[in-house]
Amino acid sequence: MRNPVGPVLRMNDDMDAIIAAIRADNPNKEVEVIDRTAYVRVQAEDELTVRRATLEDHLGRPFQMHELERVLSSFAGRIESGTDSIRWYLAA
Amino acid sequence: MARMKREEWFDIASDVDWTFKFVDREAVFPEWMSGKGKAPFEAWLSWDEPYKISYPEYVANQREKETAAFAVKSLLRRSKTFDQLDEGWKSVHKAHYGAVALIEFLAILSELRMARFGLAPKWRNVAVFGALDELRHTQLTLAFAHEHIKEDPQYDWAHKAYHTNEWGIVAARALFDGFMMNPNAVDIAIQLPFTFETGFTNMQFVALAADALESGDLNFANMISSIQTDEARHAQQGHPTLEILMKHDPDRAQWLVDKTFWLSARLFAILTGPAMDYYTPLAQRRHSYKEFMQEWIIEQYLRTITSYGLKKPWYWQEFVDGLDTWHHSLHLGVWFWRPTVWWKPQAGVSRAERRWLLSKYPDWEQHFGWIWDQLIENVNAGRIDKTLPETLPWLCNTCQLPIGTAASPSNEKYPIRSYQLEHDGYTYHFCSKPCRQIWWKDRDTQHMKTIVERLLTGEINPPTVEGILGYMGLTPDVMGDDAYKYRWAEEYREPPKQAAE
Repeated sequence: MRNPVGPVLRMNDDMDAIIAAIRADNPNKEVEVIDRTAYVRVQAEDELTVRRATLEDHLGRPFQMHELERVLSSFAGRIESGTDSIRWYLAA
Repeated sequence: MARMKREEWFDIASDVDWTFKFVDREAVFPEWMSGKGKAPFEAWLSWDEPYKISYPEYVANQREKETAAFAVKSLLRRSKTFDQLDEGWKSVHKAHYGAVALIEFLAILSELRMARFGLAPKWRNVAVFGALDELRHTQLTLAFAHEHIKEDPQYDWAHKAYHTNEWGIVAARALFDGFMMNPNAVDIAIQLPFTFETGFTNMQFVALAADALESGDLNFANMISSIQTDEARHAQQGHPTLEILMKHDPDRAQWLVDKTFWLSARLFAILTGPAMDYYTPLAQRRHSYKEFMQEWIIEQYLRTITSYGLKKPWYWQEFVDGLDTWHHSLHLGVWFWRPTVWWKPQAGVSRAERRWLLSKYPDWEQHFGWIWDQLIENVNAGRIDKTLPETLPWLCNTCQLPIGTAASPSNEKYPIRSYQLEHDGYTYHFCSKPCRQIWWKDRDTQHMKTIVERLLTGEINPPTVEGILGYMGLTPDVMGDDAYKYRWAEEYREPPKQAAE
């Protein structure tokens, strides 16, 4: 993948739901998931976004966007964090 | 009642600044502490962190992280998990705790320098969170290590190490004082959050967590990956600082990144390299140090720095080539000088382990195999004294690591030699050209006497191995020895089984 960006998530119970939300929010992108057990790298080319509403749908509970920090061990690219979404991006 | 979105009030709350009436701004933010350099004060006011968080959000997250980390610790305390850990793997712990715990404390001071002398109010706010983060990391690391002191006194070095002159600690102190304590706020932001925390700490805190989990060490994996969630946030202080610096003084930005990257790479080659390729039990090794460096540094970090318009560091090829050499040389040295460390180095060169090394590093046997063969022969002949040091290796005046560890004996491109520099009638020695270049340009922040220089100038008495060990603070109950008491060498008494090879 050229210019991959996205979160690196530490082991947690919500991993599958978070990955599903990221896939749902980026329907036209190839989202690659690399599982290294203690951490999972989720990445797509140039840009990746996840929205709070989508995370709530997949988690089945209220979710504040800042809560993602608890499992966000690292990320590739730059970050833009808001109340309703987080975007990872990198100019090629 | 609906709450306002953070975006609607955050900038007003976090961008509150003083209007100075009785002092000049230069007096409040002196150049030697703030380091605005060629960028005027006004330029720094555009500083805007990309990873935003309010104080209530910060507290809520940190509370949850702490609860999760200590819940696992409490649970495992009642189990026999620790007793079942491999002795080689425990050395990963011990090296980590000693080398890292009080550097987390040092990082509090670096963050506080940015919290006071950072050139924008938003920056100063973020740095306060950074200081609180580092306080958490210090406490967490010391608390996790402290629990094991009753089983093994080497864990006491989590707190003790930086209060000694142990040679690895002297090397680490030279690096961290050089880029975290001595510089001004702008230089710290480029060197610590942008270069070290955005790049290298991922290796020790995220990639190593994968090895930890495979090795059955859930507690350590949980702790270090929890710490890195803080780093991922406060490391973002580097990005807006770099953006401003790139507009006004790109040469300075390039130098700061180049210098810190090289020195960090040298230190991680001794801290993380042996942990991943030698101390992690073979059955649990999935990826090599070189592969993790490829993933985290060569791919992820390099893309980040080039996206800001920075060039690859001038020594890039030498760094890449070093991934086949440095940590193997350093591991060999640490094992040979094992009484001088506070952990038990696992040699990691059984026949099966050598096959693994060869599969990851095709030139390993050519460069290092014959040296280990000689050591193994001495071990099996009962000549343990021939596998132990009688003095110290010559050390690099910049990275403080042994001369020859950026090289290997049969390596034509990077042979074992000293790169010298005459200055004011004194000959300085360096492991590599980049270390020599860094010392020459930044000798005001990188100048620390090596252990060898201390030995030769009479600071270590008596100048014997015993005297050196005493100077380093190593007592017999703590000094390192082979993790498996040489049992791994026994298979070499017999010729290799052809079918199995």
